[in-house]
Amino acid sequence: MRVVIAEDSVLLREGLTRLLTDRGHEVVAGVGDADALLKTVDALAADGAAPDVVVADVRMPPSHTDEGVRAAVRLRGDHPGVGVLVLSQYVEERYATELLAGSSRGVGYLLKDRVAEVREFVDAVVRVARGGTALDPEVVAQLLGRSRRQDVLAGLTPREREVLGLMAEGRTNSAIARQLVVSDGAVEKHVSNIFLKLGLSPSEGDHRRVLAVLTYLNS
Amino acid sequence: MTTRSDRPAPAPSSRTGRLGFGAAMWKEVVHLLSNLPVSLVAFVYVTVAVAVGAALSVTVVGLPLLAAGLAGARLVGRVERARARGLLGVRIEEPSRPPRRPGGGAADAVWSVLGDAVAWRTVLYGFVRLPWGVLTFAVTLVALVVLWPALPYLVRAMTNADRAMVRGLLGPSDELERRVAELESDRGVVVDVAAADLRRIERDLHDGAQARLVALAMGLGLAKEKAAEDPRAAARMVEEAHGEVKLALQELRDLARGIHPAVLTDRGLDAALSSVASRCTVPVTVTVDLPERPAEATEGIAYFTVSELLQNVSKHARAHHATVDVWRTGDRLLIQVTDDGRGGADPTRGTGLAGLAERLDAVDGLFVVHSPPGGPTTATAELPWRSRTAAHR
Repeated sequence: MRVVIAEDSVLLREGLTRLLTDRGHEVVAGVGDADALLKTVDALAADGAAPDVVVADVRMPPSHTDEGVRAAVRLRGDHPGVGVLVLSQYVEERYATELLAGSSRGVGYLLKDRVAEVREFVDAVVRVARGGTALDPEVVAQLLGRSRRQDVLAGLTPREREVLGLMAEGRTNSAIARQLVVSDGAVEKHVSNIFLKLGLSPSEGDHRRVLAVLTYLNS
Repeated sequence: MTTRSDRPAPAPSSRTGRLGFGAAMWKEVVHLLSNLPVSLVAFVYVTVAVAVGAALSVTVVGLPLLAAGLAGARLVGRVERARARGLLGVRIEEPSRPPRRPGGGAADAVWSVLGDAVAWRTVLYGFVRLPWGVLTFAVTLVALVVLWPALPYLVRAMTNADRAMVRGLLGPSDELERRVAELESDRGVVVDVAAADLRRIERDLHDGAQARLVALAMGLGLAKEKAAEDPRAAARMVEEAHGEVKLALQELRDLARGIHPAVLTDRGLDAALSSVASRCTVPVTVTVDLPERPAEATEGIAYFTVSELLQNVSKHARAHHATVDVWRTGDRLLIQVTDDGRGGADPTRGTGLAGLAERLDAVDGLFVVHSPPGGPTTATAELPWRSRTAAHR
């Protein structure tokens, strides 16, 4: 997997590079601001060597506000094949909505703290690189909390709610099964029950499923 | 810092003393004789300033000119107070300057001078003084020449009228003084609140993240020592330290959000309030209807107001649903938080709502809670709308 890292703190950039290299991935470039990120990815893509995934911090110079989110949205428009994982000190459901606008293919939005769980973090990077989704549990909790479909959500069993949350995070059925220590079949049953209760048609791909769930929660 | 005690205390109304041909009387005579030239100058000044300003007020320069004239009238008042102090022994407090909103533009300054009651009273003083000046001058002159024995009585009678006029028309305005006192007390509250916030942040850092980091450093230090002799114990210690550091991160994040949420700066009230709403224990419908983003400080106060109110809903209301509405009416920003809980919230009890009322009061805001027992509860807050300066747009 070929990765570009955009993070203004040298310490964190080095740390992320070490972490990903250690797991056998190739960090092709590390940059410190959003402009450099866009230029680097453009240049790499022009050489026919576009990265599989970009890991970008939200706050970067010059204004230290939301450069990372804006750059990610642009990258998703310009290079649909490149996965974008946005890392942030805070997660806000509003940014997630902006990132996911239109498609949940190859996008991720995680709290920076998640790098502490090295395996899960690297899994998320790989998932996003392959076109999947990785949403922070905290974002999902926010989405569930402010959804106006509380009456329907209240009709889910606690287990189904748990599965719905993991689905919204972008996990596959087998990943959910591993996490909850149940069989794949059991998860499939929960998923079809959830879709039935929410009145959604069961979607094919995992990332489409995420979008269906998020659209439902946001409507 | 000016405090009220810096101003001279209201002195005894007059130090006129006994009637007779003493120094005091001669000073009074000088005052009466100087009434004519002084009032002539004052009359000409205020007439010209007001007439020209008013006549030109249909044009762009009219109102600023009138404002400049009024500011000058205050100067006339100061000269007259000094003359009365020197010759009549009447001490009048200097009126405070009309308050100006910080950061207000030139139009703001003009407007505040035009509404300055002290300056307008000085203008009135300028008008009435001319006939009085002519009269006192003539009577004093005649008395000096032909009514010698009556001079002290006449002088005393006329200077008493002078004293009354100076006191009545050139003194500080009650309204203005009240406003200045209010602003001084508000500033005190703002400073106290800021100091209390800093103390709270310090305490949270000290008790929370800092303590965790110390524990973490200790755990890692132990693990380092153990690494060689007991790798399994060392691994367990590293594991614990790992958990500890994650908790510290979360605490720091919550603390930073409590100081100032990043999303508020980046995306404004709507996004920030949705985020607060999603943390509330009951479903919250948020509606923010603003034509543009207000000044950063206004956004901050609005955010913390809603935050505090929703925390109350989470903790005490036992509600099923809550709504947050934010909108603008004229130059006010309105915030309303309602819930269908059990009601009975009382801003006079409990520090939360009382603190909120105090904070809003300090920024010229209003805070009203309507919460009958059994609910529903409606809390309404009102803030002065301040627009963003061009630099922050």
